[in-house]
Amino acid sequence: MNKANNAHEAQAGICPLTRRKFVKGLLAAGLLSNLPCGLLRPMLSEANEIVYEGNYEIFRNACPRNCYDTCSIKTFVQDGVVKFIEGATESTFTRGGLCVKGYGYTRRPYSPDRIKYPMVQEGRGSGNWKRVSWDEAMTRIAKKILEIQDKDGTLLGMALSKYSGNFGITNYGVEGMMSSLGYTTRLTGTPCWPAGIDAQNFDLGDMWCNDPEDMVNARYVILWGGNAAWNSVHTVKYVYEAQRRGAKIVVIDPLLTQMAAKADEYWQIKTSTDGALALGMARHILDKNLYDRDWVKANSIGFEEFAEYLRNNITVDWAAKESGIPAANIIALAEEFAAAKPATIWIGYGMQRHVNGGASVRAIDALVAMTGNVGKIGGGARYGHLRTWGFNYHALLQKQPEGAKGVPGKSEVKGDFHFAGGDETSDISYSDRSLNINKTAQVILDTNDPPIRMLWVACKNPFSQDFDRNKMVKAFNKLEMVVTVDQFFNETVAMSDIVLPVTTLFEEWTINASYWHYWLSINERAIKPMYETKSDIQIAATLSKKINELRPGSCTFPTKIDSKEWMAKEFNQGIYDLFGINSWEDLKKGPVKAKMHQAAWHDLKFGTPSEKYEFKSELAEKWGNKALPEYVAPRPKNDKYRLLTPHTKFGLHSQFVNLDWSEEFNPEPFVYIHPELAAEKNIEDGNTVRVFNSIGEVITKAKISTVVPADAILMYEAWFKNNPYNVQNVVDDTSSDMGAYKTGQPGVAIHDQFADVAKV
Amino acid sequence: MKKQYAFFIDVERCIGCFTCAMACKNQYHQPKTVVWRQVYPLDEEIYPHTERAFYSLACNHCENPACLNVCPVKAYYKREDGIVVHEQEKCIGCGNCIRSCPYGAPRYNPEVKKAEKCSFCWQRIDAGLKPQCVQSCPVEALQIVDLSTFDRTGVVQYPPGFPQQPKLNPSVRFALPRLPRVIGGKDI
Repeated sequence: MNKANNAHEAQAGICPLTRRKFVKGLLAAGLLSNLPCGLLRPMLSEANEIVYEGNYEIFRNACPRNCYDTCSIKTFVQDGVVKFIEGATESTFTRGGLCVKGYGYTRRPYSPDRIKYPMVQEGRGSGNWKRVSWDEAMTRIAKKILEIQDKDGTLLGMALSKYSGNFGITNYGVEGMMSSLGYTTRLTGTPCWPAGIDAQNFDLGDMWCNDPEDMVNARYVILWGGNAAWNSVHTVKYVYEAQRRGAKIVVIDPLLTQMAAKADEYWQIKTSTDGALALGMARHILDKNLYDRDWVKANSIGFEEFAEYLRNNITVDWAAKESGIPAANIIALAEEFAAAKPATIWIGYGMQRHVNGGASVRAIDALVAMTGNVGKIGGGARYGHLRTWGFNYHALLQKQPEGAKGVPGKSEVKGDFHFAGGDETSDISYSDRSLNINKTAQVILDTNDPPIRMLWVACKNPFSQDFDRNKMVKAFNKLEMVVTVDQFFNETVAMSDIVLPVTTLFEEWTINASYWHYWLSINERAIKPMYETKSDIQIAATLSKKINELRPGSCTFPTKIDSKEWMAKEFNQGIYDLFGINSWEDLKKGPVKAKMHQAAWHDLKFGTPSEKYEFKSELAEKWGNKALPEYVAPRPKNDKYRLLTPHTKFGLHSQFVNLDWSEEFNPEPFVYIHPELAAEKNIEDGNTVRVFNSIGEVITKAKISTVVPADAILMYEAWFKNNPYNVQNVVDDTSSDMGAYKTGQPGVAIHDQFADVAKV
Repeated sequence: MKKQYAFFIDVERCIGCFTCAMACKNQYHQPKTVVWRQVYPLDEEIYPHTERAFYSLACNHCENPACLNVCPVKAYYKREDGIVVHEQEKCIGCGNCIRSCPYGAPRYNPEVKKAEKCSFCWQRIDAGLKPQCVQSCPVEALQIVDLSTFDRTGVVQYPPGFPQQPKLNPSVRFALPRLPRVIGGKDI
């Protein structure tokens, strides 16, 4: 325990206890600012008796964040107030638990920092916010939309920045609202997982993963470039169970992650050389005839060409040199992996956020396929799936008003959660204007005729998740109006003209499915919306009412909607059959699991053009990639050290870390540097340092740690309120190699970044 | 031996995710700085990789609790199942328990000017439920056991860094963390 913490204890009137030196971070926050959060404290001492069942109304909720686990929540409400929450015990995936982020939800609706009313800021970034009525906010917005329409003759000057801040199915009503106004500009694609999605589509014909609960059946598990212990805490128990049953657990990652610490073997690979390692293993498996000849012959095309490529271009020694993993270990791993039946690889999203990320995923897919592990229980190249997302997308699919004009010609707006096209029967041929979400700042700056005049931000925080923050400031300066829908005064809200307060999960109906496990949850309205908050679809209806008042016929979105009814409209017989339920009402009893085979591709009927596994993919070639899973070199270094900015365990992008409950355990950000690098730079633990490169800088405290390689700098992506820390100051918008085929835009090379560090 | 509930902390399984600590906050809404359960990263001398092994600690519900022994107003009592309960309405906030507990379990609540600590969620126990922290653990690293019947082998009462207090006899048991074999990078 350090001296600073002792000092804080002394301040608190508590004896500084030397006995506690065994642990770090006691009273880690050291913050004694006593926020009045006792407001909702149960009257424990007076009552001295809490009855846990019976005294509460219990509602079903679901965590709507962009997360593997998408937990089902049981919410305990008393007198209209959320008292506490638990995981739904019905789900065998979450088994009654949530995560550190999820348990903070109890605080969220009542946080003193919450945006309570529509507000208008006089002067972006000034903090000069003024409360206005919904009517006034909507009048200002509607007038601006009509002004754009009149000036340009289209609504292409109105753009939408939305992604995964709320993955509720009815939240696609935000896109629906845009369509109901006309043809607009959409920031499309995804910063998350697009390179891997394309890779799996080229190889297998879709992204489809085994049930995570089936991981217990694996005899060998490689977790490659993902940190499940922070990003899918509920899957870890299946990894442990596989281990208990005798499977070897290997983690491959440039960082010694929490998951790596739990593995049998941790391989500290050089960042972005995953493809080289996978191909080196493949070459050895080929040479030793350890591949599954029968499986390859029956179920794949292009293996001979792939083998030829390996023989001519790849050696184990080369792979060792590229990846930093000794040849002997590559050989051992390759032989063990090929011998274990079944063996599985969980491909993390981190490892595809590179200029060669898609190619690396294809190389890993090939390794799993050539060993005959695709389509097997306990096997698989696990990445994600959307098999349980077959909803109606009623909220999403809205019609443009009559006479609306856009980009001439009909084209689809794609996205990772792209499920249905537009109005196929329409004879009017206009489209939305699609721009790359991963270059949000650049496209706002570059786009003219018409320029983007107005930006609607919902379920997204561009200043926290989009890249090159300094460029984003310039881009926002070009915008005439920014409207942001959010719960907290984050950095994007600070750069907005109007903020609209949105509901939390407890305050509105929706449905939540996972892109990882097979469970489905309903999200009930557990409490009345606090203050003047509204959900995204209610905001759309409110806007529609106002704009139609000002100019009838200018918006097709219904002006009054029943949110529960709209949730119900998302269900169909296909969903009911898949989940074995008769009605959505059955979900009030708890989450249900899809009646799907636990092994993806169990029938070996692939979605590729050949209906086989394609080691050689013409589709990949058509989309500008190599037909074979060939090695693509990493991005050349453009500064002294590699910069890695993965997720923190306390948050998801800019969500959660700002809450006072979270500050208790994670009060401030750090940059993590290896002792060797620290010594070279004369940096000591706790020093304030500057991380900088050609696009910007971040100033924060250093923590010396061996979990990060000596040639890298590590900062966790997060938004701390009242702290300018923002990793996007030093992360640029370089594209990754794949993503355009299925998600409309290439991904982004978040982990191909470089920077220098110095003591301030 | 009499019934004695205890926390079993399987450090080998623990991923230091803080879920248990937040689950507790979710149940009791403690004000800032009042933490009943905290997750402590181990010092590098105990586990070499920074912030990769943890002890999740709360009140140890000792067999012979210091807090109970020093309380001048008998605000503490020990139940038949071994749970040490603090009755906050009796507490005068003198701080004796806070100063006496070698594990730092009782905390001072500056709002009510009284002490408080982990209750083992005895109300949940009485309702047939697990303590919130135990139920929340995604990897079953935090469990409740009854020491009178707990017979798991390879567990310790005093892992490295955890103060030895045989007189108090803390009702807590640990399984120790393991190290992965590290290949590649600078560490080979």
